[in-house]
Amino acid sequence: MSEAVEQVQEEEIDLGPCNAILDKYVDMPGALMPSLQAIQDHYGYIPEPTVHLTAERLNVYASQIYGVLTFYAQFHLEPRGKYIVRVCMGTACHVKGAGRIGDTIKDRLGVGHAETTEDLKFTAEYVACIGACGMAPVIMVNDDTYGSMTVQKMDEVLEKYQKMD
Amino acid sequence: MVNLTIDGKEITVSKTATIYEAAKEAGIDIPVLCYAKKLLPYGACRVCLVEVEQMKGRLIPSCTTPVTEGMVVTTMSDEIQKVRKTVLEFLLVNHVIDCPVCDKGGECDLQDLTYEYEVVTNRFEGEKFDLPTDEVNPLIERNMNRCVLCGKCVRVCDEIVGYGSYSFINRGFETKIATAFDRGLNCEFCGQCVSMCPVGAILPRPFKFKARPWQIKEVDSVCSYCGNGCTITMGVKDNKVQTIRFNDKIGVNDGNLCIRGRFGYSYANSDDRLTTPLIKKDGELVEASWDEALEAVAEGFKKAAADKGVGIISGARLTNEELFLLKNVAKAIGTENLDHSGGECYKGVTEGLVETLGVKASTGTFPQVEDADVILSIRSDFYETHPVFGMVVNQAVKRNEAQLFIVADKKGKFGKLPNAETLLHKPALEVNVLNAMAQALIEDGSAVTDGVDGLDELKKSLADYAPEKVAAATGVPAEQIKAAAKALAGANKSAILLAYGLPYTAQSKEIAVAAANLAILSGNVDKEGSNLYLCGEKANSQGAIDLGVIPAGSGQGAQQMLDAAAAGSLSALYVVGEDMVTSYPDREKVEKALDGAGFVVAQDLFLSPTAQKADVVLPAASFAEKDGTFTNAERRIQRVHPGITSPGEAKTDYAIFELLANKLGAGLSYTGPAAVFAALANEVDAYKGVEFNAIGAQGVVWGGEELKAATKKVVPVKGAAAVDGKFVLLTGSALYHSGTVSTHAKGPVAVVPEAYVEFGSEDATVLQVADGDMIKIKANGAEVQLKAKVDKRLPQGVVFAPYHFAEAGLNKLYKGEAAIAVEVSK
Repeated sequence: MSEAVEQVQEEEIDLGPCNAILDKYVDMPGALMPSLQAIQDHYGYIPEPTVHLTAERLNVYASQIYGVLTFYAQFHLEPRGKYIVRVCMGTACHVKGAGRIGDTIKDRLGVGHAETTEDLKFTAEYVACIGACGMAPVIMVNDDTYGSMTVQKMDEVLEKYQKMD
Repeated sequence: MVNLTIDGKEITVSKTATIYEAAKEAGIDIPVLCYAKKLLPYGACRVCLVEVEQMKGRLIPSCTTPVTEGMVVTTMSDEIQKVRKTVLEFLLVNHVIDCPVCDKGGECDLQDLTYEYEVVTNRFEGEKFDLPTDEVNPLIERNMNRCVLCGKCVRVCDEIVGYGSYSFINRGFETKIATAFDRGLNCEFCGQCVSMCPVGAILPRPFKFKARPWQIKEVDSVCSYCGNGCTITMGVKDNKVQTIRFNDKIGVNDGNLCIRGRFGYSYANSDDRLTTPLIKKDGELVEASWDEALEAVAEGFKKAAADKGVGIISGARLTNEELFLLKNVAKAIGTENLDHSGGECYKGVTEGLVETLGVKASTGTFPQVEDADVILSIRSDFYETHPVFGMVVNQAVKRNEAQLFIVADKKGKFGKLPNAETLLHKPALEVNVLNAMAQALIEDGSAVTDGVDGLDELKKSLADYAPEKVAAATGVPAEQIKAAAKALAGANKSAILLAYGLPYTAQSKEIAVAAANLAILSGNVDKEGSNLYLCGEKANSQGAIDLGVIPAGSGQGAQQMLDAAAAGSLSALYVVGEDMVTSYPDREKVEKALDGAGFVVAQDLFLSPTAQKADVVLPAASFAEKDGTFTNAERRIQRVHPGITSPGEAKTDYAIFELLANKLGAGLSYTGPAAVFAALANEVDAYKGVEFNAIGAQGVVWGGEELKAATKKVVPVKGAAAVDGKFVLLTGSALYHSGTVSTHAKGPVAVVPEAYVEFGSEDATVLQVADGDMIKIKANGAEVQLKAKVDKRLPQGVVFAPYHFAEAGLNKLYKGEAAIAVEVSK
């Protein structure tokens, strides 16, 4: 709009899939949340250009979308790893040594909570109870659950995913 | 109506009132932070808690709770006192206490409440925020460490302005107000958020460290920019307008302003102001005394009058009283060549309306637009030319669910509103679309024809404007044209908005006639609460029309005078308050006229390109120095009050005209603006009975809230042909500027410092044009260079450039056309 602003370099991404997602939701009342979820499912995170496109097509202010994105923990504005390693830090897991599991990930991959490896392969997340206390200490890698974790088992799990694409 | 008791007082209020509003009506004060009269109830701050007997066991937020029959409310008790104090303690946990350097100090709601509730200590402790201050833009500073999260800025920007800069971001303790991606503010800079902020979190930067609130003298006046006539309350200190104060108590604008009103005042304080008269000697303008200058002017005019005559062209930012005196000056000179800015634009529009409806002004007032259920806005620029009226439309659409149709050559902010549809046509084809809408009404039999004159001829001429045919020519789908026409005719209350001004001189009469035809056929003219709005570009455009600052008898209009002067058949030109070289179409012609007239007098605030060509320059005063009246676009006569005195020897146009008339031997002996107004009210029918000193804070609307159309005559009117060319240039007003005077105001200049040419994103991609690239534009044998700006509102093949800037020389390209074919190259 005006001259009096900082210039922001927009990242370049293919907006085709985002448009296709919005095509699906554009006429639905309350389209914002499902649109954003679908966008994140596709891109792995919410790239900035998709926010502006969503704002324009759904006729919602970009500021409001940003408010929604920062309110919900489920949305991510930075690229994330292919494999999300969730380490449960609930009471049972904590007592059974979840801290050491987290430390192992930090040691092997160099990433702590909410951090992503440079090759975009792993993102570590420390989460509160995931509801599997009988398996404590427990972790999840994407949708797979691994219980009764030890440092050694953690190494095996990481190695397995390292070998996968 | 609902009856209830507040603090033992029995009161009756409307059933839509909240407890807070009911108490306020009864004169009972309840403290608030997040409440604002013009915003929807929110309930964020919990300061307004009260006890309600029927809702025992908890305290009730009075600002969000509607009244019910028999309600018994207590607004103060030990419990309430304690809870309010606790709320303040919570707010003060993370609020930085930097009141000594905070510009809000002295008028801060949080400071006042902390004092009132004696919050001396705080039982709670917590971290203070240490967020960086947003100082990226030059006008609005945001210090989020002072924010109390009342959300007023978020709401005003959404509900009233419709821009949506702000949102709450994050969650819990981390919650704060931010823009998208938490960047520096980049918006329209209307400063509505500044006016709403109860604390010092959002402040006007130009006012920083200028004055404490209690050092400021407040003077209510009327904004000098557009025809909306917003009340602005000047904050004066040291004979300077230091700021514009928030005032939602009087006037037409509910405290709303645009960037020009809020930040454009500073041209009055500009160092570039003329401070002494100047006389051209040996080709150079040199300082002179008033006596010398006026002597020279009187002599020059007398000689010219005896020779080939004098022409007077005025601006429309003079007060009614000044315009009346100018007419007297014209008489004293003995010329009937008197006209005001715009030449053809206002003339065409008024002629068109007189022919059809027999009126020369808007038929309704702004608040009626809020109640309209269908609104037709002609030219999307409407929002840009009259932003605060745009906010009224905004509320009609957002709160009252009005349907909005926009006939425009580019997409605008209006088009983004819910229920808004843009009839996006090829440049210069407004009339074709309006004609097609009229034809659609006639075709489907819904046209109002009772008591309408001229129907047969209209029907004949409209045969060429079948929606399908017009659709092919204009690019507006026939279905859309029909739907818009149908909605307009079916409305209980409709509003048709039409803006006019210097950059829109082409087809003025045609557009006015086409709009009036549509108003008649759709029943807009007959229905109560339905009106046609005619909005002039300048603060007193309507006043100039009312007073008849137009050629009389054999007098020449502005364009004729320029033609005559250029041809050497007019001996002198008197240009008052208008920089014609910059703002009139066809610069070459204006320059030729100024060169051709043997004697030129310019009366202005600045040494404009026009003044530079003058033989005598008279330094005039800004609105901030004037006493008088402006008439706004709803026919409201409002008082202008002086807040400061003029710099140096500059004088008000009032004083200059009086001195000049006396020099010319026509002794004018008015005792002041009140006496002049009485004299003009005697001559101008519409103003009869209006008493200058009785014009209150709300002004006086001449002709009443609704002006009845005198005639209902439909007139055939021809559309235009599409402009051929790969690129078509539109000119017009940019939101941040108004006329040429805003280019001397720091606020608007800080945001838009220079002219630009705007491209739609599709064209920009094809041409590989990016923001800031220098672009050559060629047309009519001339070429100008402008910086590129890329946006999303222009259709392919259309470029836009604002007309306000002298250096840009845009009027070298256009000679008054609605749109011109241009060659564009990097």
